[in-house]
Amino acid sequence: MAVVLRRLQVFRYAPGAPERTQEYPVEAKPGMTVLDALVEVQQTQDPTLAFRYACRVGMCGSCGMVVNGRERWACRTLLAGLGAAALTIRPLYHFPLIRDLVVDMAPFVERMKAARAAFIPKDAGPAEFAAIGAEAPERRAIDPALECIGCGACVSACTLVGLDPHFLGPAALNRAFTLVADGRDAGKAERWAPLLSEEALWRCHGQANCTEVCPMELSPTDSILRLRRRALASFPRPPA
Amino acid sequence: MATEPRVLRREWTTAEGWRDTKAGMWAWLLQRAAALALVVVVVLHLRNPFVRPVQATLVGLVLLHGLLGLRAILLDLGLPVRLHRVLFAGALVLGAILFAVFWRWRWY
Repeated sequence: MAVVLRRLQVFRYAPGAPERTQEYPVEAKPGMTVLDALVEVQQTQDPTLAFRYACRVGMCGSCGMVVNGRERWACRTLLAGLGAAALTIRPLYHFPLIRDLVVDMAPFVERMKAARAAFIPKDAGPAEFAAIGAEAPERRAIDPALECIGCGACVSACTLVGLDPHFLGPAALNRAFTLVADGRDAGKAERWAPLLSEEALWRCHGQANCTEVCPMELSPTDSILRLRRRALASFPRPPA
Repeated sequence: MATEPRVLRREWTTAEGWRDTKAGMWAWLLQRAAALALVVVVVLHLRNPFVRPVQATLVGLVLLHGLLGLRAILLDLGLPVRLHRVLFAGALVLGAILFAVFWRWRWY
């Protein structure tokens, strides 16, 4: 079988050094992913190349990066699916750079905290888990918005996060929706305050970039619009 | 002295920054661009309402801006977000049809 040589144009960054793009040739093998290619580069050509990964099978979300202009998980992106031209590989946008393709995910966590994204149980220490049936309306509303694994792809794709660093962003608002819609949660009153602030629900312009790139096929745009409708439905009273 | 961390953003001035710009983004940009263009074209139209190219541009921009606005309203009201690309395409096609119908109808 003829060897296909692919060129990876990788963003390089180190604090204090000029940013640059470095090109690496890689022999593309059948079934090779972008992560496989980066690992091969690191092992055979350039041990200084920095990138983050853990599970390699699309479960942890730590290898999120921008490949050919789109946020993707490197471990789930086949070289064969990216055309024949040179690949551009860049770190996620809107996160502080640490080195090369590695970004600091702390702002992601900060946004979650600002959105009060932790479940607050109504009953203190229930003996058993509260059960919500599979056909319950709240379950049907929440289910499509669960399963976020915090890869940051949506935050990177969101134009508004780029324009307003204080915007809570799609992941945190999606998480907030799952809690607002959850009848077992007791934190709604304190959660609505940040959600109704200038930097949250009303800042979204509905471009749906987050929905387009989410590897888990969630729709943060949909969650944001649902929260807005809840807020408007109770106006002028505060939403419950 | 601590320096500000480097944060990458999509660059509006490079091809890489525009690469993989998505349908929802184009819909948003087109609607805003049409609004800005309308400000200029309305002024031109008021100066002389009988210039055919200005009339055509005005009708086209009004349709583009209005139908993309309608798309946004429908999504706000609860139409599934997964339909947003279909709505975008529908707005463009409907706009073209309405423009053609309107332009064939000369009332003076």
